[in-house]
Amino acid sequence: MADKNDKDSKLVGLLAQFDDPDSLISACNEARLAGYKAMDAYSPFPVHGIDPAIGIQRSLLPFLVFCVGFGACFAGLGMQYYTNAADWSPIFPGYAFKISGKPLFSFPANIPVTFEIIVLSSAFATFLGMWGLNKLPMFSNPLHRISRFKRATNDKFFLMIETKDENFNRSETESQLNQWGAVAIEECRQDLTDNQLPSWVRLVGLLGVFLLMLPPVMIFRNMGMTSRSPRLHVVPDMDWQHKEKTQVLSPVMENGEYLFTDERAMRKPVDGSIARGQLEVDSEMYRGVKKDYKAAANSAKTNARLVSASIEDKEDAPVEPDQADQAEDVSMWMTQFPEGVTVDQAFVERGQQRFNIYCSACHGYDGNGNGLVNQRAMALGANGQAQWTAAKSMHDATVKDDSKNPLGRIFDTITNGRNTMGPYGAQIPAEDRWAIVAYVKALQETGIQPATASTETDGADEEKQTDADGGSDKEEKTS
Amino acid sequence: MASVNPAIDIDNTNEEPGTRAPLVLGGLDYAGVTETVCAPWEAENPPKIWWLILAAALSLLLVLGGCVNHLLMKGVGVWGNNNPAYWGWPIVNFVFWVGIGHAGTLISAILFLFRQNWRTSINRAAEAMTIFAVVCAGLFPGIHIGRVWVFYWLFPIPTEHLAMWPNFRSPLLWDVFAVSTYATVSILFWYMGMVPDIATFRDRCKSKIGKIAYGILSLGWTGSARNWHRYEIAYTILAALATPLVLSVHTIVSFDFAVSQLPGWHTTIFPPYFVAGAIFSGFAAVVTLLVPARALYGLQNLITLRHLENMNKIIMATGMMVGTAYGIEFFIAWYSGVPNEQFAFINRAFGNFWWAYWIMVTCNVVIPQLFWFKWCRTTPWFMVIVCIFVNIGMWFERFVITITSLCRDFIPSSWAYFHPTGIDIMMLIGSFGLFTTLFLLFCRFLPVIAMAEVKSIMPHGDDHH
Repeated sequence: MADKNDKDSKLVGLLAQFDDPDSLISACNEARLAGYKAMDAYSPFPVHGIDPAIGIQRSLLPFLVFCVGFGACFAGLGMQYYTNAADWSPIFPGYAFKISGKPLFSFPANIPVTFEIIVLSSAFATFLGMWGLNKLPMFSNPLHRISRFKRATNDKFFLMIETKDENFNRSETESQLNQWGAVAIEECRQDLTDNQLPSWVRLVGLLGVFLLMLPPVMIFRNMGMTSRSPRLHVVPDMDWQHKEKTQVLSPVMENGEYLFTDERAMRKPVDGSIARGQLEVDSEMYRGVKKDYKAAANSAKTNARLVSASIEDKEDAPVEPDQADQAEDVSMWMTQFPEGVTVDQAFVERGQQRFNIYCSACHGYDGNGNGLVNQRAMALGANGQAQWTAAKSMHDATVKDDSKNPLGRIFDTITNGRNTMGPYGAQIPAEDRWAIVAYVKALQETGIQPATASTETDGADEEKQTDADGGSDKEEKTS
Repeated sequence: MASVNPAIDIDNTNEEPGTRAPLVLGGLDYAGVTETVCAPWEAENPPKIWWLILAAALSLLLVLGGCVNHLLMKGVGVWGNNNPAYWGWPIVNFVFWVGIGHAGTLISAILFLFRQNWRTSINRAAEAMTIFAVVCAGLFPGIHIGRVWVFYWLFPIPTEHLAMWPNFRSPLLWDVFAVSTYATVSILFWYMGMVPDIATFRDRCKSKIGKIAYGILSLGWTGSARNWHRYEIAYTILAALATPLVLSVHTIVSFDFAVSQLPGWHTTIFPPYFVAGAIFSGFAAVVTLLVPARALYGLQNLITLRHLENMNKIIMATGMMVGTAYGIEFFIAWYSGVPNEQFAFINRAFGNFWWAYWIMVTCNVVIPQLFWFKWCRTTPWFMVIVCIFVNIGMWFERFVITITSLCRDFIPSSWAYFHPTGIDIMMLIGSFGLFTTLFLLFCRFLPVIAMAEVKSIMPHGDDHH
């Protein structure tokens, strides 16, 4: 029988069956002592004590996993550093983005992800490394052709001594196995005629690979070419939302008219609504107007201010001289600093700093109306290239005169602008405006002489003209 | 070969001094174990009850699918999430399912490292349960992100047009990494542990398709000693990796809450407390699944009363840890002297969600105390009832933490009550359909018990070690 098969098949080894793990171990020990090396035991579960019996060296797997895990630690940290803390861009740019005041890179915040990456990589190294070292998957194994061997995954134990062992001798090995307590011995033969994969496997495999390649090929194809057709919108109501954006025209109704008569899509606050923190009832603090004055002469207007603080009211709101009211009532303005303000060294220094930021561009650092903007505009104006009203000098006699320009009036000038000067109330908080007033007064005490006569006269003329316009000229002049 | 009637429970819960209580009963030998585990798989048709449960589970799965579709078409507004309760039931369900998903890896990894041999007959089913629970868990944050179709933005995938990366300093991103790593490692661990048993199926399978399928899945496993050697090393390494992993996952889930500033969330006790709760709910889920499964499949000789009793003891222990954590939270709120914290906890117990809080305390702290009585922890039908209550309680724990804190944030003007919608409720119920479907298919087509591992702890020859 063996001879008959010799042409078509090759003897791989002798397979001996044992009925319990202990006799398997003793047979393995005997075989090792007899000098066999190319042998393996097969059992339905890991039999403890079999490794030394057949001389298995400790696997390299733990070292392999350690190396991968160690590398993953740096890879994980590096990935987080590159993506969240680096700005250089070899291929894809990093994205150094400050968020919640957190540092761009700090170990505590980056430990969790690093840990998970270490575990994930090590687990894959373990899993793939184990199968790789075991040379699995291997679907073609002559052992699987032996029906008796099916019980190796159930309840029987096997020892195979392979023909490639130099001590292997067909009959001698068989008798030795019998001697060591084998219950049954069988030849394990490799079928040489059947060493090709079934033809359909290749076909199915090729087809599978082809089908799997289709989606990525389609994606890359579309990524690399331009298209005239509109972009694919998966969820259109996310891309075209039913809303109006800021600063656009009002939606148009079916009859062709604007939905909102003012033709704006944005709505203004309801009349009378006051934004949080902008109640500003203290007229001394916020408008530089004496409390008594307001109560006596202008109560109607102030109440209107309280009731309605909508944008439209802005020009009415401060108790400014009426357009008709040519002769300004100077007595309305505060002559003292309001109660909430303490004038000391720090306050004036604050005022200087704010003045240098907001005012010096036109009025100059010394307040003499010779700021850079002013110089440039005057030069252009001399060539007829610009219309420019010279910035006022703080040292001008009119400006210095407390009876004409009390503290409250200077505050009001900063807040609402005057003549061609624009309002700064929106940019500078009330306290800082008072600080600037304090610094202006301090500047005036320095004894700096007013600038050239031309500037002075121009300025004075201008003031007279524009005072007639009621100070409502809001032409932008500031930087 | 299984000569003893499997329907009879043998009491192996008593300690005999000087001997180890046997973990495999009924006088089963190696072949007997194989027969017992393979019998339901080799049966021509699964039992009628299996079909009934599968039909119910598939209908619930259909409901879930419908809800997810509705959500994708309409947007997250179909949920009850509101301002300020931005995290509604989806996050509650996520934490609930992830928590359940902790028992499997705990049993496979931590009990393995502690050489608790009784784990061998329950670890396979528990691992499967873990994976299916993580599938359910992953669904909820996945559909909670709003624009589901760009879910891959969660991962650091280089894109040309986005030119942005995830924010690695956010606990929500840690969560993405933790849960996806956990799911991946659990699947690797589960599959690797199953290969020798799938080889058993391959060698016993009679149908052509089965032979091919199990043949491919078993990777040509022969049970060679050289393979077993590396396999056992790999198994130990995976267990050693999975142990810190399983603890890290729920720790990081708790960071989602604890790293924020919200009173009731901003506490350092959250990581240990969440992990204890996860083990608690996970073991309860294992008991809930295994008691009917062992009755249905006649596995009483392998999943013995002793196994169930051990699990019930762990449930009781972790339940008391959770109860202690509830108490400590109140103590710390008082001790911190922070009025917001104090209010948050008084509000939990006596505010307008008081009912949820007391359901939670009753189910998680009071009811598991029944396991002090031996009858309660060794009577299968009774322990299932207790364990169902435990999981109801654990769902409410996550509800209480998420909803009560969000509904009472720092600005009283934004305080609101939370009402779930029908979609919320149907999605929660539907997720049980997904879970049950997967588990039933697992019971039908894959080895429910780790045969090789059970055999390795059976006494053999003369030495009973």
